[in-house]
Amino acid sequence: METLSACTLHHRFVSGAISAKEIVQNLLHHIKQYDSKIGAYLLVLESDLYAQADYLDEKRQRGGRLGILAGVPFAIKDNMHVKGHITTCGSKFLTNFVAPFDATVVRRIKEEDGFVVGKTNLDEFAMGSSCENSALQVTRNPWNLDLVPGGSSGGSAAAVAASMASIGLGSDTGGSIRLPAAFCGISALKPTYGRISRFGLVAFGSSLDQIGPMAYDCDDIELAMQALGVHCERDSTSLPGESFVPVSFEAKFGQGMRVGVPWQFLEALPLESRKVFDETIAHLKEMGGHIVDVDLSILKYALAVYYILGTAELSTNLARFDGIRYGLRSERAGNLDEVYDFSREEGFGDEVKRRILLGTFVLSSGYQDAYYKQAQKVRRIIIDKFAEAFRACDFVAMPVSTGAAFPFGAKKDPLSMYLEDIYTVGANLAGLPALTIPSGHLEDGRPLGVQLVAPQRHDAEIISVGKQFQQRTNYHKRRPNFQRGGLS
Amino acid sequence: MNHKWDVIIGLEIHAQLNTKSKLFSGDANRFGDEPNVNISALTVGLPGSLPVLNKEAVRKAIRFGLATQGQVQLWSRFDRKSYFYPDCPRNYQITQYEFPIVRGGHVVALVDGNEKAFSIHCVQLEDDAGMLKHFSSFAGVDFNRAGVPLIEIVSKPCMSSAKEAVAYAMAVRSILEYLDVSDCNMEEGSLRFDVNVSVRPQGETAFRNKIEIKNMNSFSNLEQAVAHEIERQIALYEQNPNEDPGQIVPQATFRWDPQLGKTVLMRTKENAEDYRYFPEPDLLPLVLQQEEIDAEQERLPELPLEKERRFVREFGLSAQQSCFFTMDRRTADYFEQVVEHCSYPKLVANWLAVEFTGRLKDQGKMIWNSGILPVHIAELIGMIQEKRITGKMAKTIADDMVANPGLSPRKIVEQTAAYRPFQDLEQLQVIVQEVVREHPEVVQEVLAGRDRKFAYLVGQVMKRTQGSALPDDVNRLLRTAIECAQY
Repeated sequence: METLSACTLHHRFVSGAISAKEIVQNLLHHIKQYDSKIGAYLLVLESDLYAQADYLDEKRQRGGRLGILAGVPFAIKDNMHVKGHITTCGSKFLTNFVAPFDATVVRRIKEEDGFVVGKTNLDEFAMGSSCENSALQVTRNPWNLDLVPGGSSGGSAAAVAASMASIGLGSDTGGSIRLPAAFCGISALKPTYGRISRFGLVAFGSSLDQIGPMAYDCDDIELAMQALGVHCERDSTSLPGESFVPVSFEAKFGQGMRVGVPWQFLEALPLESRKVFDETIAHLKEMGGHIVDVDLSILKYALAVYYILGTAELSTNLARFDGIRYGLRSERAGNLDEVYDFSREEGFGDEVKRRILLGTFVLSSGYQDAYYKQAQKVRRIIIDKFAEAFRACDFVAMPVSTGAAFPFGAKKDPLSMYLEDIYTVGANLAGLPALTIPSGHLEDGRPLGVQLVAPQRHDAEIISVGKQFQQRTNYHKRRPNFQRGGLS
Repeated sequence: MNHKWDVIIGLEIHAQLNTKSKLFSGDANRFGDEPNVNISALTVGLPGSLPVLNKEAVRKAIRFGLATQGQVQLWSRFDRKSYFYPDCPRNYQITQYEFPIVRGGHVVALVDGNEKAFSIHCVQLEDDAGMLKHFSSFAGVDFNRAGVPLIEIVSKPCMSSAKEAVAYAMAVRSILEYLDVSDCNMEEGSLRFDVNVSVRPQGETAFRNKIEIKNMNSFSNLEQAVAHEIERQIALYEQNPNEDPGQIVPQATFRWDPQLGKTVLMRTKENAEDYRYFPEPDLLPLVLQQEEIDAEQERLPELPLEKERRFVREFGLSAQQSCFFTMDRRTADYFEQVVEHCSYPKLVANWLAVEFTGRLKDQGKMIWNSGILPVHIAELIGMIQEKRITGKMAKTIADDMVANPGLSPRKIVEQTAAYRPFQDLEQLQVIVQEVVREHPEVVQEVLAGRDRKFAYLVGQVMKRTQGSALPDDVNRLLRTAIECAQY
């Protein structure tokens, strides 16, 4: 199987060129062949897939209405609920937690006849940038098995990059979709906050979390957004009104576009990454882009703000994991306090504990003004600075990260790991859509990504730019070489 | 040394709203079901669940704010309040800490027959916790109550006695019931009180430490707890006149133990919880339109205070009597239904407040749920006024009405010989003649114009007829007999 372009597969299935059963057989064969090396999936829903394939083939034969995702296999990050299956969040704490309902995104995939292939690995509770914080499994980068796939949605990114799904769903709180997409050489969107329902997503930082699609190219991203970018009444922060509607590049930017670049903020970018970014800028110019220097130097505070607000929210979001109603309950516990203490002690990994402690601290009386409230104020300024930038440009172009995928164990110091998100957290803090597309490769072949950050609700506009970019370039077409480098 | 003491009391009233569903989920808001049936993913805090605000609960909070002349806020917000306890499924409560839905307002209550206004600080919307049930070797949690909408009505520290605290609390309950905002069922815990009490010597301006007593669910507990706490604090200060008051009564939280008849320490200030409030990110700020608030204002019913004043004005009741009826909307409605059929409102008030309420007390019933029809009360009073029955008979008929609710007093009278008045006029004439003959000097006094003495003679006749003679008949025959005696 060469690639698993969602659009191509959907058309081939609808036109009868391939049956749903063949899609599933090929896919499962491919997963069996490669996933033992990559480790993208925590769970593959084999029997569900065959049942769904029979249903779809039968439906197509009798001429029933086929959904817009018919025939498209989805990999679901294991912090989103698929009814009847365990949602582990990559944590020991939840290895016995069976989801009692479908996340809205999963419901939408099923309603539109997509395949739910399985649940993919992640940093525990989506906290991490390399996928190394998973308590359950190691996931490797399909481009080079010695490298991390990026995180936290590393499993979904690896699954798509290794053609084990057409579309992967990730969640992005500070860069968790974009970083692994860039590390694995695929396209991905962190939509506008509220564009995709969070119902059924296990919360990390509720005001920052956003689910988004990861795929081979921007056509597939657009297809996924048409199914997923709808209002959901079960999520109070879901965008009201109109669903996601694609726009054409010609109509929107045919007369030119203003591309903002925060040059000052990018001064620390290493030389080889800078070279790739400059190439991207050159392409954007050729597409009719006028490059505008925008001042986003405020983003140097973004990471600090993110680690205060994000941890504050997660410290309460994870308080429900107490060993009382579900999840792990320590065998050692002899009284209520011990149930709390020992269950959480045994169930959570170091990074999760570190962040719970940090979040609890920044909200504590006596410290809240200095940390939490101060961070809220800076968040407000970041939002304002982006708004100011968008008065001068249609979208901002930035690298996704300072470098490419790194080897396992390379970032032992939590702070150096946190710095991986330096370019991505801004979009979360301001609730902005950010599209990641492959933008080149380093000399050793490792992919890099660029992100386009737009004003709220301009998801379709940056996707149209991404599509145009991919019509002119081939970066996204380069795949990990399964025979040679990648999986050898 | 014997100071006079000022007492400062503030009250937090938690009222469960009588909405169909919970504050943030579609689960039923219903008391008394089997444990853990009205629960869904959100109610038990499953990961991936999200709160969606119940608009009906918001509407009810607005109604209470308007009814107490508070400022309903066009912009308010929910906050997370963190604490670990098994009855709290997410281990944080969703409440309104910094930006409550209503600010200010006041409640007028009758204290010793005088109207007194008490100030409200704010009203917050929040969700209730579940309930812990302890068994011999383990404890269980019932989450049916978890997520039930509450309003927390926070008063200013504006009360100065246990009596005032109770008067205020009862007035709040009346308003909640009138508005159909809460069922205020005390036994079911739909109305609960936390109270803050401090005392200081008269003349001292700074507040001394306050003691919080939590979670009382009856007016009598509230009254006893406050009275007990006032006494305790004063005694402590008086026993230690030279010590630092801050050390004598350290700030702390107690609960009231009704069995022991005293407060029991829960925690001191040093061990106070840090709730780490911060804005609830899963909910948008609550933004209201002035039009929806105005529309709610239009829909407000007549409130207890207005009704109380109207009863005084329209029916000539005393303030206290009026308050007795208007405290409970159903009792007030009942009174008005009786008055519709009867043109003696003061008599109606007396009969309802004294005779019937007294008789129903043993059954634990109120007049409105006694089964007695309002029209039957009117009928009874009508018969008295028409002199068809005597007052004494009416009281025994009232007994029968309470024993057999639904039975018309006319029917009772028709069916029972004892209630038929003395109707043999010849016989009555004989008795009248006897009385006149036996009291010549009284008769002379009546003839001399001392009409007060006439009542004495009436009494004598009544005595001999065991009270069954109709006063009109007695009067008429007695007048004639006296006039005849002149000659």
